[in-house]
Order: sequence, then C-alpha cells, then structure tokens
Amino acid sequence: MRKLIEFIRSIHVVVLFVVLEALAVSYYAHSTCYTEARLLSRSNQVIGGLRGLFTGVRHYFSLGSENRVLLDRVTDLEERLARYEEVVAMSHLDSCLAGVGEAKYRFSVASVVSNSTNRQQNLITLNRGRRDNVEAEMAVLSPDGAMVGYVVDCTERYAVAMSMLNTSFRASGKLADSDYFGSIYWDGLDPHVVILGELSKYAEPHPGDEVVTTGFSQYFPADVLIGWVESAELDPTLTSYTVRVRLAAEISRLTDVILVGNRDMNEIRGLQQSEQIEQHTRL
Amino acid sequence: MYRTLPYLALFAATALLQVFLFDNLSISVYLNPLIYVAFIVLLPLDTPPAVLLGAGLFTGVVMDAAMGTAGINTVATLPIAFLRPMFLHLICGRENLREGGIPSPERLGRRNFIDYLLLMILVHHTVFFLLEALSWSHLLHTVIRILLSSLVTMAFVWIIVRIFTAKLPVRI
Repeated sequence: MRKLIEFIRSIHVVVLFVVLEALAVSYYAHSTCYTEARLLSRSNQVIGGLRGLFTGVRHYFSLGSENRVLLDRVTDLEERLARYEEVVAMSHLDSCLAGVGEAKYRFSVASVVSNSTNRQQNLITLNRGRRDNVEAEMAVLSPDGAMVGYVVDCTERYAVAMSMLNTSFRASGKLADSDYFGSIYWDGLDPHVVILGELSKYAEPHPGDEVVTTGFSQYFPADVLIGWVESAELDPTLTSYTVRVRLAAEISRLTDVILVGNRDMNEIRGLQQSEQIEQHTRL
Repeated sequence: MYRTLPYLALFAATALLQVFLFDNLSISVYLNPLIYVAFIVLLPLDTPPAVLLGAGLFTGVVMDAAMGTAGINTVATLPIAFLRPMFLHLICGRENLREGGIPSPERLGRRNFIDYLLLMILVHHTVFFLLEALSWSHLLHTVIRILLSSLVTMAFVWIIVRIFTAKLPVRI
C-alpha cells in the first residue's frame, strides 16, 4: 500500500497532466458552436467593458472610411432627392405652361455635374443630354431665372454649357427700362462681374440699374435678368459707356439650372439663310 | 513569493495583448499568433512541475473564456506546461537548471534559448491548429498556418522576453 502511494506520488505530475488534458479534450469534444457562443457571452460580462473601450479606440481609426461611406450615401440620397425635386419643378413648369399651348420656349431642368470659375474659359457640365431633348444653343438660366450661359455641345446623356465666365462668351444686353443695348462679355478678372460694352452714350446707366437680355439673340428669351450696374464709365472717345455689371447668378454656387430652348430658332435661322434673303444681302 | 507580482503583471499583459490586439489583427488566415505562451515560457526554471501544470491550466482556461474557444487553448497549453521540464533537461542539462532563474537568452545561452522557445511554440501551435482544423483534409494548409504563426509568435515572444527580463537581474 505504501509502495503504491509512493509510486503515485512519483508520477503525480503525469497523472495530473493526463487527467487535466482528458478533461479539456472531453470538454472540447462535447462542445458545440453554442457552447462557444455561450462561453464568449459569459466572458463578455466580465471583460465587456474593456472590450468596449478597445472597440471604441479601434472605431476611432475607422472614422475616415466610415465618413467616406456616409458621404457616398449622402450623395446617393441627394441624387434621389434631386430627382424628386426635378419632378416637382417639372410639374410646376408644366402647370405654368399649361394653357399657353405650344410656347415659343421650352424649359427643362438639369443638375450641374462639374463647374469651374477659376479659369479663363469656364465651362459647366450638365447631366442632361440629347436623350432628354437638350441641344446646342439652349440657354442656361439659374434656378431664379438669371442668365448663366448657353449649351455648346451635348452627348446622349450630358451637355456642356459655356458659362458667362468665359472670355469667348458673347450676348447682348440692355438696361431694363431703356432700349439702348450693348454687348455682354467677361474680361476674365472677377467671377462676379461681367462687362456691358458699347452701350450708347445716351443710355445714362446708374449704379443699381437692372441689366437684362434683349430679344435679339435667338439663344436667350427677352428680359432675362443678367445683373445690376455696378459702375459705368465713358470711353475715351466719349461715344459709348463701358458698364461693369454685378451678376445676378452666383455661378460658383450653381447646383441646378433651367434650360431654355427656342422652338422657333431653326425656323428663324433657316429663314435668315434662305436663298431669297441671301439674294438681298449679296452685293 | 517575491516573484509573484511581476508574473501576475506578465500574465495580465500577455492575456490582454492576445485578446485585444492579436486576436483582432486578422491580417491573413495564416497569421494567428498566440503570444500568451510567453507566460508559460517565462516561468522560473525551478518551478515545480505541478505548479507548471496549474499555470498552464489557468492560462488555457482564461484564454478559452476570453477567446470563446471551448477548450482548445487548454488542450494546447497543458502539454507544453507538462513537457517544459523535459525540453529544458534535453537542451540545457539537469545540473544547469538546479540553480534556477528565469529562462532568457542570457541565462540559457542564446542558442539554447531559441531551441527551447522553438520547441515550446511549435508543440503548442501544432496542437492548437490541428485541433482547430480537426481534419486531415487540409493538412498542407494547416501546416502552413502552424509554421507561419509560430514564426510570428516567436518574434513577439522574443520581444516580450527581452522586455520582461530587462528589468530583472539575470539570476534571482
């Protein structure tokens, strides 16, 4: 008996190991994924707070990517919202035009895809194209009806418009309550100011006077607001005014625009270029 | 008992590192370092075998609870706790070990210590990953996991050993 006890004592480590290992293995063997889940949830009661702390720290480092995901989501929702707003605007426009019958001008709306104001030749890209009946030479107005530019070219789904802030832009403008007109162009300096040049010296422009479009241009309807006179100075030759016009449209903040097409433009142009007219202009 | 406090700190540090850092790394399925073996590796040379087993059991159970694995850590940690004296005898010889001290490159010699570390970690990881896979069908996959994880564990345990032994005299 004493020998047995001594024998067990001499190998007690081995026995202990075998017993413990057998217990562990049998526990593992009888475990299921539910056991593991239960185990983890139990231990979470103890170290949950600590785990939460570390998760918070880790979360902090993923803020950047999360922010990007959120921004994507926001733009997505923004786009959907724009679609609804567009529908609302369309129905509004339609109700305005109901009863007028076939109007001379047709309207549609578009969103600005890209826009610049910091170059000399600034162009605006719009998300409407030929598919949506947008065509070159349609006028582009800001949502509150001020002049922005006109469409230069379009593809199936997109259109590019020349903004007023383009040194190649030309239009005609006049003071609101007189019939003296001049040409509108941009000098490429201040994105808030365009020039109304060659205005007759009898026009007497005063700061604050409204400047609107004339009806001569086939691009723009008559009396579209361009801006307000900021300052005017007489040319050295004393024959005409050069007027600085503060723009009504905030082009750098443009998000949606109204497109105006002239249904009669082709007809008028065709007429102007017809052979009979040409006979009278030929010398 | 004067060594209890540093070892408690070591245990807490390795367990926390394991649970909150290395279990969350998820760099690759092949890299799953189990650095808590550093605790077993670093126990004093003259620890009684029964105490070693107890420490192994305790480590395994705690890690099982924290990692949510039903017993794999215990099953893997118990053998290295049991086999540790034999490895040490094999590598360093019986006389050398009587003087006690903490296993470290300075105490055992760099070469011996690396052998010892490698044996411990390989045994532990082999048991762990074989049990985790629990099949021979992806043996190559499992072997790669064992080898790569062992290497990474080895590197981190080495760092932990350097830190742990740096503040203590070579022989206590």
